Amino acid sequence: MTRRLLSAAALAAIAALSSPTAAQEEVYLQVTSPGLKRVVIAVPDPPARIGVDPRGAGDFLSALRADLQSTAVVGLLEEERAKLVEVDPASPVLTRQRWRAVGAQFLLETGLTGAGAQLVADTRVWDLASGEVAYSRRLQGPATLAATMAHTLANEVVRLFTGRPGPFLSRIAFISDRSGAKEVWVMRWDGSEAQQITSHRSIALSPTWSSGGQWLAFTSFLRGAPQLFLLRPTEGYLKPISALPGVNSSPAFSPDGRLVAFASGPDGNTDIFVVARDGGTPTRLTAGRSIETQPAWSPSGRQIAFTSTASGNPQIWLMDAEGSNLRRLTFQAQFADEAAWSPDGVRVAFTTLIERKFQIGILDLRSGEQSVVAGPGNNESPCWSPDGTMLAFVSDRSGTKQIFLTDPVGVPRQITAAGNNAQPSWVTQLQ
Amino acid sequence: MPMTRVLVVSVCAAALFFAPGCSRPKPVVAPEVPVAPQEETAPEPIPATGGTAQVEPEPTIAPAQVPEAGIEGGELPTDLAELNKAGFLKNAFFDTNKADLRDDARDALAANAAWLKTHPTVRISIEGHCDERNTGEFNLALGWRRANSTKAYLVSLGIGAERISTISYGEEKPFSTCHEERCWSENRRAHVVIVGR
Repeated sequence: MTRRLLSAAALAAIAALSSPTAAQEEVYLQVTSPGLKRVVIAVPDPPARIGVDPRGAGDFLSALRADLQSTAVVGLLEEERAKLVEVDPASPVLTRQRWRAVGAQFLLETGLTGAGAQLVADTRVWDLASGEVAYSRRLQGPATLAATMAHTLANEVVRLFTGRPGPFLSRIAFISDRSGAKEVWVMRWDGSEAQQITSHRSIALSPTWSSGGQWLAFTSFLRGAPQLFLLRPTEGYLKPISALPGVNSSPAFSPDGRLVAFASGPDGNTDIFVVARDGGTPTRLTAGRSIETQPAWSPSGRQIAFTSTASGNPQIWLMDAEGSNLRRLTFQAQFADEAAWSPDGVRVAFTTLIERKFQIGILDLRSGEQSVVAGPGNNESPCWSPDGTMLAFVSDRSGTKQIFLTDPVGVPRQITAAGNNAQPSWVTQLQ
Repeated sequence: MPMTRVLVVSVCAAALFFAPGCSRPKPVVAPEVPVAPQEETAPEPIPATGGTAQVEPEPTIAPAQVPEAGIEGGELPTDLAELNKAGFLKNAFFDTNKADLRDDARDALAANAAWLKTHPTVRISIEGHCDERNTGEFNLALGWRRANSTKAYLVSLGIGAERISTISYGEEKPFSTCHEERCWSENRRAHVVIVGR
């Protein structure tokens, strides 16, 4: 497999986790430069306790370890090193010094208690350099939710290091044709538990989450012409929100979830519109003879990036959320589309054309620097993880269209396999 | 798992200074700390800072409703399907990323207009299609433009606008499925379908 992956600038770009909103919290990793490091954390087996549901305890520990090993932020202490540590029951301090001596920077201690169907996890994370407790928390719930408890804990451990929760309860909505027609599906962030949401046997396109995970908007041909639909995935509730003449495509929720921007328009002329999520008459934001499509709200809600052919070929433009102050953002040779703002609002990822292949570009809005996530095949539809540490994208490198994830360490992994899978949209958790 | 190995190696290369976990493991030498006599130690008390949280189940996903079928959807009546198969109406083909009509497209549409004039009750739908290049969303807009520029030309040749509906399928319904120009050029088309006679 060719690995002409992320340039150093792109590494820095995706890895830059500094978040102004989290400034008051203690953040262990301020990754703003290319020398990305993973925090080494040791997660020893909890002491065996009588009465603890053994299956729940096993599920908890394996889910916790798998989560903590799977991001660019933390890495588990290698097992052969962990084995070297001799636990001294008489001296926890000495034991912690031994963990530090084998290379652990942090130690996650969990005590599992509970009776029968209940599981209680008391967790402490020790900063082994300072000898202080960096985090402590008690989580409790039914033993059947052991994995959910572990994902919740792993999210908090990542938050300890980055100021943003990890992706372990997050979901990706996408379009798959694996059932024979293009339908909306939702899966966990690692590709597991894929569930088919629509069974309309029509063409569904461009599912997009509201940031709270309550709503999905998507385009469907189920009534003939393409229309925009709103879906409440936990209830199966479905309603049309735009049947304007035109394509009714590429919906995007405003950050507060109250508005949906999309593309439509009569007589072949596609423009950006916005409609209230609760319904109403759409308002037109752009005007002109060129194609305007693919809106994307900035995380602040103040700007909308979109694709326009006003300069001749498709490029990313910006406007204020009311439709004023239009200015061009990208100057690609031939093509730029599918703008996606990073959650911190500092970068815009987009699909572009390089040497006759579609590739993903990342533009840093502060420096104006641009990097390219190049890989084999065509790569498109970039989508940030809610914590901004990963990108999901679609690649045809395997012969069919599949969804891949990449992180700052840069080895993309394929998370779908059945049929063709496209147009990912990622949300922190379902609600 | 090869992927994990690659990951670890690259971290070592990038951040040797910061990743003590990457150097070769050495046996632990216990620091010389006086060891208290064996006693049963209770677990250390948990600082109350983090609080307690009850973990709730994640919401479950329900299948979306299936609304009643729309009037525009569905198959054509048999006689219309036969009529379309007979090939009285021609397609207009387009250049990459273009929606304006080439000379061959204008010729095809002129022939369509002549046939439509001799069959004044026939109603048509013009479907805009694209090749698989570009993104799906952009192609939907491009197909819409192709369908409507085709309609505008037929109207300019004297066909009533009320006889013509338009729809874009973008790249969603390709006629040819290979991944090269001979298929792409087939798929960049305005496809004219008889929907009423």
